[in-house]
Amino acid sequence: MEEPPVIDDAPLADPAEVRRAMEFYSSRGWTDGLPVVPVTESYLAEFLATTARSPSDVVLAMPHLNRALTVRLAAINAALAGCLPGYFPVVLAAWDSFLGDGGVSRAIWQSTTGTAPFTVVNGPVRAAIGLNSRGNLYGSGFRANATIGRAIRLGSLNAFGLRPHVLDQATQGTPAKYSCCIAENEEDSPWAPLHVDNGLSATDSACTSTVIRSVLHLEARHTIVPEQLATDLADSICRTGAMVRAFASVYVVLNPEHARLLDSRGWSKQDLKQAIIERGSRTYRELAASGKEAIAKGTGWRLPAGHPDALPQTAPSDPDTPVPVIRSAHDVQVVVAGAPNAGVSSIVETFGAVGRPPSVAKIEEQRQGREYRTDPGST
Amino acid sequence: MADGILLERAGIPAVSLCTDAFRITAEAMARSLGFPGYQYVAVPHPIASRTLAEIDVIARDFLPEIIRVLGAGLTIRPAD
Repeated sequence: MEEPPVIDDAPLADPAEVRRAMEFYSSRGWTDGLPVVPVTESYLAEFLATTARSPSDVVLAMPHLNRALTVRLAAINAALAGCLPGYFPVVLAAWDSFLGDGGVSRAIWQSTTGTAPFTVVNGPVRAAIGLNSRGNLYGSGFRANATIGRAIRLGSLNAFGLRPHVLDQATQGTPAKYSCCIAENEEDSPWAPLHVDNGLSATDSACTSTVIRSVLHLEARHTIVPEQLATDLADSICRTGAMVRAFASVYVVLNPEHARLLDSRGWSKQDLKQAIIERGSRTYRELAASGKEAIAKGTGWRLPAGHPDALPQTAPSDPDTPVPVIRSAHDVQVVVAGAPNAGVSSIVETFGAVGRPPSVAKIEEQRQGREYRTDPGST
Repeated sequence: MADGILLERAGIPAVSLCTDAFRITAEAMARSLGFPGYQYVAVPHPIASRTLAEIDVIARDFLPEIIRVLGAGLTIRPAD
């Protein structure tokens, strides 16, 4: 059993100086509320040495804010977040994936919807830097997951100025905003991992990022019937409370126990997606009961048929006619992760692209002669 | 807010509208785009949960201010 931390075992450093540095960053508003790691030019250089990109290269721009995230700014925020230098290629790939996803560049982080950054990591880098893909998947307790997710959030705050109450107008926000980076449990999965499904090799490492709202838990310890599991998942995915857009978009984060159950009954990942889509509807009556039976002009959001913004539509003669709320298999991404110790999975409700493949970004190889560093820097 | 500023810069008169819940954000956006002090019109919050009749009242009450910010020397023709 590990010993609890003891005060007299702390490294030799002047605690008053440590606190002064912490307070400096806090007073400048460069934190998410929690203390950050001080960053010197020499420490920053260790991050920048892990990539072939120039520090001035733009990773992601928000022209409507007149701001851009450069490689240097991404590295500063990764260091502030507590990343080790060897995590930086993962952080860059996560940003690349957000660029491909598109929502972030189009101001979704200013929206009242209040979305958080979400990243799935695949490939050998997971083991190299100690990313957790098993129990307590969403954390906390794992430095690589915690700090890579936080590096994105700090980048949004510090590089783009997307601060709550100012440019970030989130009504509720989500706890995932502090950090939400998971790894796929490829070792315990019976199926090909997410990045391989999307054209990369199993020996590649990759980030797949999007923006999310809630993470719902699915309790299904009781069943060994694949159809029951698919029905349970579809019911949660199609909850009316989550519906703002016409169609749902989710990641089903299936624990290995559920994935193996499905596999043992001959179900592929595609079979599960298809079964969820087939069950992915609400009746017109149910939608109307929540005032979400019609679609708005312009925004495409759900609203009552009698609303002046509603697109004209004819109500079905049978109000129990099912109305599909999942459009395509792209909108039900399946990732296997978590501990294989109970029939508990989760559904990540995204606010990213609908109707197209996920944005998978390959993680840059470490420069020649370097490995993914897992030891703390010397500065 | 960004759209209004970009239209004005393109020489097209525009008025940005928001509800008063978004004043701080509106002014931060204007600063981000190098236009502190940009004039806009803030109407009462909320919009989405009001009836059409309530929206009509807000529109009528704020139209003179919108015309003023538009700055085109326009006047409102009295209703027939």
